Amino acid sequence: MAHQAHAYHMVDPSPWPLTGAIAALLLTSGTAIWFHFHSLVLVTAGMILLILTMIQWWRDIIREGTFQGHHTPPVQKGLRYGMILFITSEVFFFLGFFWAFYHSSLAPTPELGGCWPPTGIITLDPFEVPLLNTAVLLASGVTVTWAHHSIMEGERKQAIQSLTLTILLGFYFTFLQAMEYYEAPFTIADGVYGSTFFVATGFHGLHVIIGSTFLAVCLLRQIQYHFTSQHHFGFEAAAWYWHFVDVVWLFLYVSIYWWGS
Amino acid sequence: MTPFFRGHGKRSDLARRLISLEMSDVIEEKIKNYRTAPFDARFPNTNQTRNCFQNYLDFHRCNKALSAKDQDVAPCDWYQRVYKSLCPLSWVAKWDDQIEAGSFPGKI
Repeated sequence: MAHQAHAYHMVDPSPWPLTGAIAALLLTSGTAIWFHFHSLVLVTAGMILLILTMIQWWRDIIREGTFQGHHTPPVQKGLRYGMILFITSEVFFFLGFFWAFYHSSLAPTPELGGCWPPTGIITLDPFEVPLLNTAVLLASGVTVTWAHHSIMEGERKQAIQSLTLTILLGFYFTFLQAMEYYEAPFTIADGVYGSTFFVATGFHGLHVIIGSTFLAVCLLRQIQYHFTSQHHFGFEAAAWYWHFVDVVWLFLYVSIYWWGS
Repeated sequence: MTPFFRGHGKRSDLARRLISLEMSDVIEEKIKNYRTAPFDARFPNTNQTRNCFQNYLDFHRCNKALSAKDQDVAPCDWYQRVYKSLCPLSWVAKWDDQIEAGSFPGKI
């Protein structure tokens, strides 16, 4: 019987890359069809297929790593590189929106009144809900670090408590931000101010939701004894992503909410 | 206000009459010799949009400030000369209409 003579993971054939690609096609073409012909069929099919792909692909990765032992040290190193590269690409994604914001706000055009904030825009007070949101995310950074140390020290109950607290803080941020969006005196259609504000903070909010979901999956896995004190990369990846989301918020807060008011 | 020659003796009176530099005289002189907008170091680059807009704003702000103090608005003509030299006519027309309609976005 042949055994692998190396520590790497030669993955079994899987349909999920194909279904993921089909989902991407359905989402993009579906969005175009929705814009021009008012039909949501394709984009809905794309969303469903995307969610099914993500669930099953990541489920398979958990099976391969946690249950079948394929995540040896070199494999884990590759996963670490992968997560860091992905987060780096997300940094560049947000850099673009910050570029757009600074392009318009550093040299405001006559159409805006030559000033920033533009004439007629009532900005949000940076020392009200946005400051609370900053405190919430910073606190969640502390609780996620607490969770990490708990896992490393084998403190099961504390790990569950601190991870739960982190997720609750994430939900609290999302709830507060949703309230702000509802109550804001300006919309996305209010000139370049509205565009830069809602696109930048909107994508950030989406990333908070993604990060909270990632942490929630980690909580379920922690409860089901997937993590050991030495090996818990899924959690570490979620924590890195969460810190990234927090840092993006800090830049948003200082640039758009505070300086931009 | 006549600078440079303070004091009330005969010599300073004479000097003051010979070289009288009132602000409105200076402006009159500059406007009489006006050919086009001079180089403004505040706007050194090729894109002169801000130069045009700033002078348009300054003209209206000057009018508003001097009228409020019941002073002569003649010095404000300099800004008008500059923005009329620099700005596209369509921009000036649009901004004039906005000012009339009360929808001009600039702070005057």
